[in-house]
Amino acid sequence: MKERKFSFVYPTASFAGLLFVLAVMWYAASSQNSPAVYLLLFALIAVFLVSIPHTLINLADVTIVLESVKPAFAGQEVSLSVEVMNRSRATRHGINLALAGSGRERKRIDHIPGGKAARVTLRFPARQRGEHKIGTLCLTSAYPLGFVRVLKKFAASQTYLVYPKPAGDLQLPLGRARAPHSRPQADIGEGDDFAGVRPYVTGESQRHIDWKAVARGQPLMTKQFAAEAEDFVRLDFSAFHLADVEDRLSQLALWVIEAERTRRPYGLRLPGTEILPAVGQSHFQQCLRALSLFQ
Amino acid sequence: MFGSLATWVPCLFLLALAMKFWMEPKGYRLRFATLKLILAAVALAGIFFSYGSLKGVAPGVSLLVVLMSLKILEAHTAREFQVMVMMAWVLCLCGFFLSQDFAIALCLLAAFALLLVALIQFHRGSSPGSFWSPLSATCKLLAQAAPLVVLLFLLFPRINTGFRFEILDARSATSGFPGRLSPGSIASLANSSDIAFRAEFPDSRTRPPGAMYWRGIVMWHCEGMEWRGPYAPTPIPHSSRLGAPGGRALPAQSSNGKAIRQRITLAPHGAHWMFALDRPFEAPPGATLANGNYLWSVPPIRKVRRYQVSSSPEITEKELQPHERQAALKLPASISPAVRDLAQSWTAQNSNPRATVNNALQFFRTNGFRYSLSPGEYKKNDLDEFLFHRRVGFCEHYAASFATLMRVAGIPARVVVGYLGGEYNDLGRFFLVRQADTHAWCEVWLPDSGWTRVDPTSAVAPGRASLDLNSFLERRTASGEMETRRSAFVTELTRSAIFTNVRLAWEAVSYEWDTRLLGFDADVQEALLASAGIANRGSFFLITEILVVAAALLVIYAGWMQLRTRSRSDRVKALYERFCRKAAHLGARRDAWEGPSDFSRRAAQLLPKESERIRQISNTYIALRYSPKSATIILDRFAKEVSAFAAHSRR
Repeated sequence: MKERKFSFVYPTASFAGLLFVLAVMWYAASSQNSPAVYLLLFALIAVFLVSIPHTLINLADVTIVLESVKPAFAGQEVSLSVEVMNRSRATRHGINLALAGSGRERKRIDHIPGGKAARVTLRFPARQRGEHKIGTLCLTSAYPLGFVRVLKKFAASQTYLVYPKPAGDLQLPLGRARAPHSRPQADIGEGDDFAGVRPYVTGESQRHIDWKAVARGQPLMTKQFAAEAEDFVRLDFSAFHLADVEDRLSQLALWVIEAERTRRPYGLRLPGTEILPAVGQSHFQQCLRALSLFQ
Repeated sequence: MFGSLATWVPCLFLLALAMKFWMEPKGYRLRFATLKLILAAVALAGIFFSYGSLKGVAPGVSLLVVLMSLKILEAHTAREFQVMVMMAWVLCLCGFFLSQDFAIALCLLAAFALLLVALIQFHRGSSPGSFWSPLSATCKLLAQAAPLVVLLFLLFPRINTGFRFEILDARSATSGFPGRLSPGSIASLANSSDIAFRAEFPDSRTRPPGAMYWRGIVMWHCEGMEWRGPYAPTPIPHSSRLGAPGGRALPAQSSNGKAIRQRITLAPHGAHWMFALDRPFEAPPGATLANGNYLWSVPPIRKVRRYQVSSSPEITEKELQPHERQAALKLPASISPAVRDLAQSWTAQNSNPRATVNNALQFFRTNGFRYSLSPGEYKKNDLDEFLFHRRVGFCEHYAASFATLMRVAGIPARVVVGYLGGEYNDLGRFFLVRQADTHAWCEVWLPDSGWTRVDPTSAVAPGRASLDLNSFLERRTASGEMETRRSAFVTELTRSAIFTNVRLAWEAVSYEWDTRLLGFDADVQEALLASAGIANRGSFFLITEILVVAAALLVIYAGWMQLRTRSRSDRVKALYERFCRKAAHLGARRDAWEGPSDFSRRAAQLLPKESERIRQISNTYIALRYSPKSATIILDRFAKEVSAFAAHSRR
């Protein structure tokens, strides 16, 4: 998170109104030669002027800490968790956080006590698959009077992924697409042939957890059986025909989701990339990432 | 202030506020454009109906108030709130059009500040502390703005726009002081506590001795119990003016008179009266000295007017012009034979005019005349009824009847209306004269002393002349001679020392407002600039000057606020970084991965001369940075050490 050196102060829309009021007061004061009206005019001018450093200071020592952004599917929302830290000793008020170029999405923080932080989530639609830069985050504040606004920009170097939109109406290619050189294995279906353990992935059936190992104080492990290991799905970019590349990627994304949901090991083959069959969150993310970054 | 608006206008505003409180939680709002237009049209019609016109200040202000009420019902967004606050500031401005009284000004400035509180609270949103915190923020803002306000007020060029519009023309009715003396016209003012004017005596620090008769207007035209002044005053011819070549001598140079300088702050009354002690002999700018030695303002006085005037206790005119004598003896036809007989009975005893005057005063003193605030109604020509039957009256009855009697007796006489007495304010060293102090007295022409003041009221109510009316009445009430005007409790309260002191202090502050602040107009500013020697540099120079000072002030504020709110750990870090920069300058550069104690060891080896200081600074830094409790005093010591580090090495 890089902080620009300068904060900008610029007038808000209501500043035009203030100018009008000041002009009216000045006209009244000078045409009446009335010191009382002049006093009111000067009080308003002085309070406005003094509010400028107050506004400026309101963002001094306020910085942004970005957390890593969770990937989202195209068409869904990206949520960006931002921690706005107030490193000064004074409470800061009325801070707006916005992402440059993301339309109207802005979040308001009413106050952050000195030395504390406020967590804000910015949401914006994920449009295109791929890796995107977060870009520039803007902190603005018009506190205390709202006639001027201070702007502080933070250039974020982090990126976020947008996965292809899962879509398509082709069936999951369930064929026992056995690897040609693989060793034939007993076909026991839901069989009891214990083939080993692997770390448990949240959401898997609890039936297959190695509870005895848990009782021994070991982490949660899932027992794997021979029948399962063999029954995998190979998702191949060039194995089916869809005219548009994006449509194909969407179809593949849908299949990846389906296969992951049914806990069926799946592998992905893209031109130039091959991901070996497996199941689980990290594999799932890896596949989607490959789809997302596909050129 | 709102007395000048139609009653329904402020009521509508309060109603709109109440409605808003009811509507807002339910989400109701004035939404439909047609409805808004209809309501605005109805309001406009209402204002036209109430005032008969849409021009002028009161209808204009009413219109603004009504539109503001509608805006309250309509407003919902942040920007609309901002707009409402700004409209309310314009309303504060309008308040000053209606009155610039100190009490009103205080209310308006308080409203201005409260609007700031509201604005700040609005921008604070849901932050905790919904009243005191924004209030203290406002106070801070105002305190910081105060030097700027003073600067702007003193130096900002008061450019005259040239298009003057007369705002206060709505106030055409004269307040208080009567232009015509008729039975009851002064008694009706006896309960008015409105301020007429305040007077300072720049040459003396205490009150001048003797009764204070403030001359307002001289009435020549007699109609029995009724007197009136000229419709337009005839100025004293230039040749007969004091000090003018061929005119009379200045009293300061004469043997018996001594000029008394006064600085008078006159409350606006919408007419032409101006007042001065005894007899003014010079007219201040914008006024004429009318025949009879009284002041007459050329433009009507619609805002606080300050002027300086000199007057003398006595001016001896040696001769009465024949046309003046004629005017001063003119009587209406309706004088009854009884009155003529009475007057002739005095002249018959002694033809000396002075003896006649004394006889007349004796007549009032001995024939059971009473001084009363509520003498009952007299009809226009009931001189007889007053003199022979009811014998109850206030000062105007005595002055009018006495002057008429003098004219009947062949002595030139005229009635003077003005003020008598006044309350001396020790704090502000000024006299405060109220409408209640309005008084009427007579002047008669005596061949040996010229126009001589005779106050027939003092024959009836001795002691009145040396006091203002309220004090006089209170003494009378206390001694049971006068009917009580207030309940005992209120009288007791108003007489208590605390109350009196508070009141005097308030009046003193109010006087300062009227003279120092309201008196500081373009002319006074020009004089001030001239005395500072910067008057001829032009307004561009002044504005530049103000801008420079203001910018410097803002930078100081920003720096100060940042320094105050910067967290301690940041300061420690900044100081240590400064130390590292200095060390690097001397040749010991700290590597990014190097901890403070490692660096201290290495730097001490590299810079053996500074080793003691380096170790000291590093130890303090470590203590500040990593020990759980570190007092502020160490931080200050640390700051000193760091600044001493380079200073030492440079030597």
